[in-house]
Amino acid sequence: MADELDLLRAADPAPADGPHFGDGPLDHTAERHLNRLLHSPRPGRRTWSRPRLVWGLTAAAVVVAVALTVLLGGSGGAPAVAAPRPLTVRAHSAAVPLAQVARLADVAASDGSPALRQGTHVQSWSLGMSDDRPPLTLPEERVVRWRADGSHTEVVVATDPSHPGRPVLTDEGLVEDGRVLSRRTFPPMWGDGPPLSTPPHDPAKLRAYLLDLIHGDTLTTSELLDATQELLDNWTLGARESAALAELLADAKGLRPAGQVTDRLGRTGQAYVYDEGGAGGRRMLILDPATGVVLGLETTFARDDPEYGVHAGDVMDYSAWMR
Amino acid sequence: MSNDETFAAAYREHYWAVSRYVARRLDGRTGEVEEVVAEVFTVAWRRRADLPAAPLPWLYGVARNCLANAVRGYGRRRRLLDRLGNDDTAHGRHVVASPGSDRPGAWVHEALARLSPADQEVLRLTAWEELGVDEVAVVLRCGSRAAAMRLHRARRRLRAEIDRLRPPAAGALPEEHRHG
Repeated sequence: MADELDLLRAADPAPADGPHFGDGPLDHTAERHLNRLLHSPRPGRRTWSRPRLVWGLTAAAVVVAVALTVLLGGSGGAPAVAAPRPLTVRAHSAAVPLAQVARLADVAASDGSPALRQGTHVQSWSLGMSDDRPPLTLPEERVVRWRADGSHTEVVVATDPSHPGRPVLTDEGLVEDGRVLSRRTFPPMWGDGPPLSTPPHDPAKLRAYLLDLIHGDTLTTSELLDATQELLDNWTLGARESAALAELLADAKGLRPAGQVTDRLGRTGQAYVYDEGGAGGRRMLILDPATGVVLGLETTFARDDPEYGVHAGDVMDYSAWMR
Repeated sequence: MSNDETFAAAYREHYWAVSRYVARRLDGRTGEVEEVVAEVFTVAWRRRADLPAAPLPWLYGVARNCLANAVRGYGRRRRLLDRLGNDDTAHGRHVVASPGSDRPGAWVHEALARLSPADQEVLRLTAWEELGVDEVAVVLRCGSRAAAMRLHRARRRLRAEIDRLRPPAAGALPEEHRHG
């Protein structure tokens, strides 16, 4: 089965059976380092200084079993399973250029309110795909709140605002609307790199922050949208950060104004569309034109992908951010 | 087992896997692998109380951040050397051409290099580290759903680049064998 992953596997520059770094006993240097760690007087116990890197990794991966058989054969009445339709731009609505949004956002940010807040509140719809099953859209709401001591909690709830009160599809099967899927508390953590460090509100510095966030050297429009999504999944931007982001978006090539839309939470915004070309999708960014606040980001398939049972125009994923 | 014993067991079991992870991302700078791996396990040692039952994806997550720092340092050094002038190291001439550069896989590397760093990483984790989606999510510090989506997008983009670069001789892959 020589698909693209097989081709990549065959091009592994450091295979496990290669001449270097193959599995086996530790060499002398590795043994010495382990000994140093284990037997030095408490190496690394520098609790008085802030660690340079702090890890938000959870102790174990969230085990997700896609119980599709249950979902497809389940009896739950009229579940909220329908894939959301892509947002449509209101016909004949005026399109506001991004440069104008950036200017308005800059003015709106002059009093610095609202303020930046760590954590996020996002409603998302995403397509669960499998090689051998039909695609399903899984809606959920995620709230992350940080406390003053550096700890934070994350709550994920199964809900679909477009079908209130109806059973909701999850990885675990059909559940009632509003079921808490996970509630986790994380111990205090800090870091001096994104996404734990505070995003700046100067456009050039924010650009550098986003590059760091995606571990990149360049920020193409596609990467800027990826980085925006990641930023907003970690931070609720204040007026100044939103204005800085709007300025970066205004400079992005190929992001064109499309007109007015009403998003899935009933909010009115301006849509900006970017076609990734080739096998990529179509991204639609929704902004509040008066403040530059990012309301949502939608990705739709640009062409059919029969292998996954999806068609051009189907929504791959959609995130709507709230305060 | 105490935290120290658990750490020692993870170190012995995964030292070489972490070394391969680092080597794959240092573009032939194999001399630096040992140094970065030492840094990875030093950070992991400080955080040993958090070491999960399946530590390898977690260790890869640590390595990913250590590498980002190392690469930033390398970039600074390289810029300095470039300013200093005609230095072999700065111009990469110390890297001896290996038989690998003529391998048929070279164009796959080129296709990979044309993708964004985020796309490259999710593909490497899947193809080279052989991680499942849940494990990729641990390394990338995102949800499993987001990891699956990123992988899906990255595969499509890689396929597009491969289609663009594939040498004629390698173009005979049956259509039904190509996945999105």
